[in-house]
Parts: sequence; C-alpha cells; structure tokens
Amino acid sequence: MTSVQSSEQVSAQTTAQLIKLLIAIIPNYDESFWHAETELFGAIAEFDSMTLVTLIGEMEESFDITLDDDDISAENFASVASLTELVLERS
Amino acid sequence: MVSTRVEFYPGAKGPLFRIIRTPEQVLAHLLFIAPLFEQANQTRHHISRSAINGYHHGWQTIIFDHYGTGDSGGELVDTSLVLWQQDIVKQLGEIKANSAQAIYLSLPLSAVLLLSDEILSYVDGVLLLQPDFNGKRFVQQFKRLALAAGFTQRKTAIPTTIAAAKKRQQTIEIAGYTMQENLLDQLAAQNLNQLTDVKVPCYWFEWLAQSEALSPGRAKQQQALANKSNKLIIQQITEMKFWQATELQISPEFLRQEQLLFSQLIAGAAEISGC
Repeated sequence: MTSVQSSEQVSAQTTAQLIKLLIAIIPNYDESFWHAETELFGAIAEFDSMTLVTLIGEMEESFDITLDDDDISAENFASVASLTELVLERS
Repeated sequence: MVSTRVEFYPGAKGPLFRIIRTPEQVLAHLLFIAPLFEQANQTRHHISRSAINGYHHGWQTIIFDHYGTGDSGGELVDTSLVLWQQDIVKQLGEIKANSAQAIYLSLPLSAVLLLSDEILSYVDGVLLLQPDFNGKRFVQQFKRLALAAGFTQRKTAIPTTIAAAKKRQQTIEIAGYTMQENLLDQLAAQNLNQLTDVKVPCYWFEWLAQSEALSPGRAKQQQALANKSNKLIIQQITEMKFWQATELQISPEFLRQEQLLFSQLIAGAAEISGC
C-alpha cells in the first residue's frame, strides 16, 4: 500500500514539474489549462519542433535524465501523461 | 537621443553587420557575442535592451552578427569556429588599440562556445547569461531539431538529412541552417577544458526559479568554472527563461541586475549582493 502511494506521489510530482516546465515554455495558456491529460503534440499550435527540443533539454536538466533519439516520438509527446511515463521510465 | 552607428565592419573573411552605441564619455566597452543559430533570434531583443541600458551607464556597446549569419556577409556554409573567433579577436584588438578603458564581453547561452584563451586575453571581464559550456550537448540539442521537425511534419525518414550528410561528409541542413558538418564537430568539441585558467572576473547570471534546486549539470558547470576562474560571481535570476518562451518575454529582474553591474563595474566595486 505504501509502495503504491509512493509511486503515485512520484508520478504526481513528476507531472507537476513537467507542467511547470511547459508553462515556462508556453506561457500563453492559463495554469488551469495544464493537467495530466492535457494533449500536446498536434493539439497545441505552439508545440513545434523548437518547443519540443527546448522541452527535451529542460526535462533532461530538471530530472537529471538522458533521452535517446528514439524517445522523440509522437506517442511520447502526445500528452502530459505520456511525458510523465517517459520521465519515470528514464529516471 | 542614443548615439547609434550602423556599419559593415571588415571582418576576417567578409563584412560584419554592427550596431555601435557610443556615449559622449566612454567609461567601458561591451562587445556582445551572439549565441548560435536559433538562440541568436531568441535573445536579440534582450541584447538590444542591454546595449541601450549599457549606453546610458557610459558603456560603448557593440552588437554584431557573426560571419554568415544575420545581416553580415557570407554564408553559414562557408564559416568555421576559428573564423568566428578571429572576427572577435580582430574587433577586440581594435578596441584595445584605441582605448584605455576596460573591455567586457556579454556571452549569452551558447556564445561561450566561441571563447578562447586568446579572446580572454583581450578583456577585463565577461558577463555570462545562462552559459552552456557543454558543446557536445548543445550540438546534440541542435541535431534533435531535425528529428523533431521530422516527426512534427509527419515524415517517416526523419534523420535523412543528417545521415546523408554524414555519408557525403559535406553539408548538413538543420532547421533551415545549412553548414559544414565540420562546424558542428568543432562546436561539439568545445568545453571548459579548452580554456586554461580564466584570469578575468566572470559575472554569471543563472536563471533558476526560487523554489527550484540547481540541476546537477548546471552545478557541475558552475563548479568547473569556479575551479578555473580567479573571480566568479553568480547571480540568480528567478524569472522565466525568456529565450525559451514561444512568445516574447522580458526579464526585468535580469535587466535590473545587469544595470547594477554596469554601475558597479564602472565604480570599480563589482560586488553583487546575495552571491
């Protein structure tokens, strides 16, 4: 039980941190816009290649992880939730 | 009215577009080194603001485009890291030959990858704006643009341009920038170890939110420079990283702190509080 709660907490913290990064990079949306299910790639006009690479750099720095080129896929960047999964897998 | 002169300066290989703001009484010189590729566009507005602020504090400020970039002559494909460094040395040499006042460099982001011992030998100090001395990482990020562009444009053969260029050992095009593959190799090889002791004061502005801890990578770079530098002063800026935002952001805290530094350096007492 404790273990499940702990992983949920880690996931929630990761999501919250990702949202902070996204707000800094794409500041023209209200904070309420951002949540775990917010769609990214293909859903947000500002989410272009430059934004994506900036986000990758910030994720690597913030979470102290290294992403492979193979990680740069539409599936991984589909939503905040899929990004959270990616970070947790690489942590 | 700000006294501004626009000119084409004879660089080592071709004309460099420069904007020079010269106050009536020049108390110091500040040469802005543009960061590379898209970062130049992302920082242009702030660099102009800094230059105008510097001017009002008695600093002669010089903004220029590297050869093959912006409004300067030549093509990016014809340039090299050494050429860019030579252009900086040439400008610094002329300033030094004609003025006894202190010379400083402003180096945002990837601009530090152009630093060399020779360049540092001409200056009295450097202003570092979120510097990234890790050339390998910078180039990796830049190459990722091609990958990202591939999937955002729904192409299947994403790394075609990179792979093809590697085979041909000729040019490479990433995000609209066409260059010699060799230029990226030169940049990737740049890091702090390329510099011997840094004998001039370094004023490092680090953007970091109040609640955030410095990442291990950033901490490592700061420590590495601290080990090399005679004097390193780090100033935290708690605002958003203006260059990353998808719309124009101003960083007033940074501009304020930078102006304070302009005054302090002129007064000969550059002590930033809280560092």
